[in-house]
Amino acid sequence: MASFSLNGQAVEVDADPRTPLLWVVREHLKQTGTKFGCGVGQCGACTVHIDGASTYSCLTPVSAVEGREITTIEGLSPDSDHPLQRAWVEEEVSQCGYCQPGQIMRAADLLASNPDPTRDEIVTHMSTILCRCGTYNRIIRAIERAAQEV
Amino acid sequence: MNRKYSSDRFSPNRREFLHGVGGLTLAVGSSGLISACTTERQSSAPAAGSTEITPNIWVTLGADDTVTVQYPATEMGQGSSTALPLILADELDADWDKVRVETVGFHDEAYGNPFFQNMLYTAGSLTVQAYFDPLRRAGAQARKLLLQSAALHWDVQVGELVTEPSVVVHPASGRRLGYGEIVAFTDLPETLPEVGDEELKPFGSHRYLGRDMPRRDMPAKSDGSAEFGIDVQVPGMAYASVLRAPVEDEGPRSIDDAAARAVEGVTDIVPLPWGVAVVAETYEASKWGREALNVTWSESSRFREANTESDMEAYVGQAEDLAQTGTAWRAAGDLDAAMDGAAEIIEATYRSDPAYHAQMEPMNATAYVTEDGKAAEIWVSTQTQSLSILGAAEFLETTPDKITLHPMYIGGGFGRRTLRRQRYVEDALLISNAVGRPVKVIWTREDDVKDGAFRNAAAQCLRAGFDADGNLVGWHHRVAAPKVLEYMNPPRWEVSGGRDVIAMLGSESSRYDIPNFRAEHIITERCSRVCAWRGVATSYTKFAAESFVDELAAARNIDPLEFRMQLCHDNPRALTVLETVAEMADWPRPREGTALGLALAGYSSTFAGGIAEISVDESSGVIDVHNFWLVADAGYLLQPGNSEAQLEGNVVFGISSALREQIDIAGGQVQQNNYYDHPVMRMHEIPNIEVRAISTNNPPTGIGEVGLSSTAAALANAVFAATGVRVRHMPLTPLRVLAAINA
Repeated sequence: MASFSLNGQAVEVDADPRTPLLWVVREHLKQTGTKFGCGVGQCGACTVHIDGASTYSCLTPVSAVEGREITTIEGLSPDSDHPLQRAWVEEEVSQCGYCQPGQIMRAADLLASNPDPTRDEIVTHMSTILCRCGTYNRIIRAIERAAQEV
Repeated sequence: MNRKYSSDRFSPNRREFLHGVGGLTLAVGSSGLISACTTERQSSAPAAGSTEITPNIWVTLGADDTVTVQYPATEMGQGSSTALPLILADELDADWDKVRVETVGFHDEAYGNPFFQNMLYTAGSLTVQAYFDPLRRAGAQARKLLLQSAALHWDVQVGELVTEPSVVVHPASGRRLGYGEIVAFTDLPETLPEVGDEELKPFGSHRYLGRDMPRRDMPAKSDGSAEFGIDVQVPGMAYASVLRAPVEDEGPRSIDDAAARAVEGVTDIVPLPWGVAVVAETYEASKWGREALNVTWSESSRFREANTESDMEAYVGQAEDLAQTGTAWRAAGDLDAAMDGAAEIIEATYRSDPAYHAQMEPMNATAYVTEDGKAAEIWVSTQTQSLSILGAAEFLETTPDKITLHPMYIGGGFGRRTLRRQRYVEDALLISNAVGRPVKVIWTREDDVKDGAFRNAAAQCLRAGFDADGNLVGWHHRVAAPKVLEYMNPPRWEVSGGRDVIAMLGSESSRYDIPNFRAEHIITERCSRVCAWRGVATSYTKFAAESFVDELAAARNIDPLEFRMQLCHDNPRALTVLETVAEMADWPRPREGTALGLALAGYSSTFAGGIAEISVDESSGVIDVHNFWLVADAGYLLQPGNSEAQLEGNVVFGISSALREQIDIAGGQVQQNNYYDHPVMRMHEIPNIEVRAISTNNPPTGIGEVGLSSTAAALANAVFAATGVRVRHMPLTPLRVLAAINA
């Protein structure tokens, strides 16, 4: 039995301790905004926050998050109104949209520690998350827009 | 269906209406607009108190003011789930905030795309092109009906009325009626009003089109609520992982599943013709069970001979063997006579390896098959509702009405989800049928790579003939490639007359005025699973054709821009694209340490031109892309901002694939595994990208793929400009660049 906090709520999950957090969140707890893309920490579609730090949930066994606070895209803001989420809509970043929860979670981690990042800092930080549709330019613009708000 | 679940987002209520209401007839008016008229509804509905009317299959108007539009495609990031309803809403003059969109989730040719034999099929950048006219007419017809009804109600002439968004106004008296109010007292007449061409809004006069209305799918894609195929949760479902045969057409010969069965949570082992499925209560248990399987595979498939390198050389042999003739894709003039009489003939051969889609959502499907095995409910990310249904029906040897499909958002399509036989759906159908439960099958990324259906390999021999005055008088484009369309969709191949659009698109080189021309398809053996890929064949036919144009310009010592402008002298749209992209890149300006390469490479009816600015490290062969400019003219732009977003994405996708994405097959086995050995371009690797979508008063055409035709050739031409050597093998890997430099 794994116990941790998911988006501010205490949860207990009957899962093998080796189970990647990704599958616990998606299939056991049915919070499917966090996506599976590669399973090996290459694409970043599975990015969540563990105690505020962005992490690949596909590489994190659930045993490693015992007692910790997990935030997924569903818990980033109460009404989908995080400055990044608003900026994502304003800049029309998404195309297929599959990688975007991971992109937003990764960007939220950046702005939390660096509220006014340079373009180079954005690019370096965000290069862990793939987007096959090629929305990178708009991701940069959206992060710059959100940074002006926070 | 006695075991049925529904998904909120795509409720099938529309289907129930169209197929479940008695007395439904489909009538085709003289304008060609298909109308749904229910005689029962007309006779039974009271004169007042109607809650909704459905003037045609595309739109339902509610007494509560809602406007419900049927969306016959798949939203995969291209924006058509906003663009198509906007077309109708604009002609209807509906208040956009009152427009609801329903995705057509059933196979019905009335909604199908005429470019795809009236299948619901989202591919080829043909959605707006196909539906622009019918949706305009449907909207205009509904508006006309409302005007007629309001005129009768007020006892005035229709000509005295105007509309504001969702309101009919009689300016002379100041009276107003909301669309919903009119619906409440309107019955569908026996004959619906026809809409003439002159009654449609002219280009440039629209309220919504051309003005960047917000895409409807954006909020759900920013908060995790967008539901993709992989997100489906069905009560009572099991999970399955499939250990797949390493080579096409092989299957399990013996299975040792003792260790797999011992994994906690594993419930069943299901042998499949192409693999072994492990079924479990959790996804992770199914995966661990799969890892514990010990399977011996058959060794009889001809695909065990497949090898990317040697197969390519066989293709080259066919492409260059002029004794082998193929199916003409486009022919003009008398090519043979022109070449016989030519003063000079130039030839070059280009190679393009198989290419992987690398869409972010791996293949997956969820299915629930009934006990008799003859009906099923399926949830799948698909580019074609029709083929998912027809393919599943064929597979279960049942009829299409026995398949209930839930279309979902899709995490990248790029052509991968267009096959008639969808192996991921078949996985789910077979396994669900075996275990009697709903089953979700999720492919790993490695499965997705190794069981990929790739853009086919191709070898292309280009030949050009010049007369004694240096005029280009003959062009011969020989594409050696397998029958891709036959593999993708056999019934479509059967009626194609051998014209394989998936293998040949782009080789028509229609922008250039060349009097004697032949593009032909030399059929080769298929050496991998194949499928359409973003840009369809233009990603390789234009790599070859536009590299070759550059070679001809160099041979004649003419600037590549000037040479192309001469060839399309009578094509004003092509000339404008060329001039615009050249201006954006400041083409004439000499560069220090970098070089420019140009391609004029449209896609079907869309015009596009691209310029790459690169430098080459001649010690490593690495190409560094500094800038890429892309211009497209896709006719009248419905969503200009979204059009430019598509072009940006095209450039990223195109450069990534042209420079380094490689699929190697050895002994029939794909050698790549995941993103670490198939590296898709990351944010820090993209160049400065500038795009421009030009709106012109021509019918709207596709924009979601057009850039893929320009990127590879522009890069290869820039390599030539930088180094003086030609790299004629895509992807343009450092090893190949180095080999060309050192040759």
